[in-house]
Amino acid sequence: MDRAAKDKALLDRIGIDQIARNARARRRGQLGLALVFMSPALILVVGVLLVPVLFNIWLSFTKWKKFTGFGEYAGFANYERMPGNPFFNEALINTAIWVGASVVFPIALGLGMAMFFRNLRGAETFKNIIFIPRILAPTAVGVLWFYVYAPDGLLNRGLGLVSGRDVDIGWLYSDATVTPAIIATFVWQTAGLVMVLLLLGLAAIPKDPIEAAHIDGANRWQIFRYITLPLLMPTLLMVTILSVLAGFTVFDLLWVMGANYPGQRSLALAVFMYFEAFQKGSWAFGSAVAVIIGLVVLCVTWVQTVLQGRVDRMTR
Amino acid sequence: MAFDISTLDLDAIERREAAKHKGSTLKLFAAIGFALLWIVPFYFLAISIFKSSNEYSRNPPLALPEGIAPLWDNVTRAWELGSMGQAMMNSAFYGTVGASLAVFFAAMAAFAITRLDIPFRNGWFMLIFAGTVFPFQMYLIPLFFGYQKLGLLNSHMGMLLFYTAICVPFPTLVLRNFMSGLSREMDEAARMDGANEFTVFFRIILPNTIGPMTAVFLLQFTWIWNDMLFSTVLGNRLETRSIMNALLVFQGSYSSIGPNIVLTAALLASLPSIVLFFLLRRHFMQGLQVQQS
Repeated sequence: MDRAAKDKALLDRIGIDQIARNARARRRGQLGLALVFMSPALILVVGVLLVPVLFNIWLSFTKWKKFTGFGEYAGFANYERMPGNPFFNEALINTAIWVGASVVFPIALGLGMAMFFRNLRGAETFKNIIFIPRILAPTAVGVLWFYVYAPDGLLNRGLGLVSGRDVDIGWLYSDATVTPAIIATFVWQTAGLVMVLLLLGLAAIPKDPIEAAHIDGANRWQIFRYITLPLLMPTLLMVTILSVLAGFTVFDLLWVMGANYPGQRSLALAVFMYFEAFQKGSWAFGSAVAVIIGLVVLCVTWVQTVLQGRVDRMTR
Repeated sequence: MAFDISTLDLDAIERREAAKHKGSTLKLFAAIGFALLWIVPFYFLAISIFKSSNEYSRNPPLALPEGIAPLWDNVTRAWELGSMGQAMMNSAFYGTVGASLAVFFAAMAAFAITRLDIPFRNGWFMLIFAGTVFPFQMYLIPLFFGYQKLGLLNSHMGMLLFYTAICVPFPTLVLRNFMSGLSREMDEAARMDGANEFTVFFRIILPNTIGPMTAVFLLQFTWIWNDMLFSTVLGNRLETRSIMNALLVFQGSYSSIGPNIVLTAALLASLPSIVLFFLLRRHFMQGLQVQQS
């Protein structure tokens, strides 16, 4: 008896409905078991992360009263307050600067170093040196650079030695220099990771098209521009998104180096939100700022998914 | 294949080789210059911990220390004034227990998602993975009030609960991807022999997943060790404070105490992650690779 006839005989004997019922029963049985396996993860993620997010969204539509707590519905009032707040506007501008700088500088540097170190003998040591700042906590890096930028710190005394005069610029105390100074620290810390990720991407590029182009007389710039760069696009896209998110939500460095002193300073949105909620007690307003941050992050993640899909289709 | 060697332009080949060599020497010097630029802050840190406060302000910042004697004094003062012992114990507890639990729970969930026959397989995964989508700012205020209500604020258990939860979603992604690539033949064979799913999980899947589990454990441990933000919001007490929070407080309130001592504290706080990195560099790099995919 061949396979098809055997299957048909089996179906006739027990009936298709019974088989479907059995499969469903088996699935239900496995679902119970699966829930046992998934429950610790589900309970933790839902209870400690997702429910708070919903609570935060709800809170942003309420009014906070000092003695009765929250509860009174306030519509979009918290959101409407934002544009009129000078600290908010300043934080918004600084965050935009952060996003731009954290994409441009680490990627330009990281890509340059990756191309440079790729075929260099003994590059392992250099790569490690550039990467090491990344394994330190942003807090520790912030403390270290705080003393680099201090009025009697490394940078001023170095500049003094070069110029022959006493230099006492308060890098972290003047509004004009504080953001660029902390961005430089950020670049020092993150360029190594960008470089390593791009090196991984470069290593995955096949050698054949490059050799073929070389034989056809393409120069190094043409090879980079028309072969390496397009093939590196998926990695570059991922690194760009990572950088945008890192720059948009930067907090630790700012808090250690620039915000942790009396009075409000709008170094970026995340710092502004923390200050409003935890130092001024404007809980509802702070949660509305958090929702705005969340919305932007979700949009960026969505754009990444769309672009990733497009790149995947292109390279397939 | 035979060919006449005299047809080769040996001079041209030699010129090209020489140019290549010269190019790489130049490149090497450029690389050294660049690495020096990167290393200056580390050098500054490394020599500052050997200076007394007086020496630090008297001598140029990049001058070599006069001796190594002040190191011990710097360490003890940073340790005692910054209450770093307590903070290190706290962070070690949060890091080891929190990251272990999180990775284990993630492995359990990944097992259910990849091996058991369940409806909405992807939906369950997305629900857990949703924990990585939102920025930390959205957790701060609700957790602060929730913890206050439940009496978890400034408690070790509350801190551990949060750190475990935040470390679950990412390992779930990594371990799901890894487990779906594991051959099914072994666990099918074990099931034929009458093994139940718990046996399959503990005896077959877990032992084969140790590599990626170690990699994500290291990543999550480092995340917890380096966290400052959630400790300032949920556990800002001497008894529950994380090491990075302790460093922040030390820098803020004792800034008059001398940069040499605060810098020593910063180095002490970073030592565990530096040591871990050099001991387990391979796992770290593996972790980066999984982070990328």
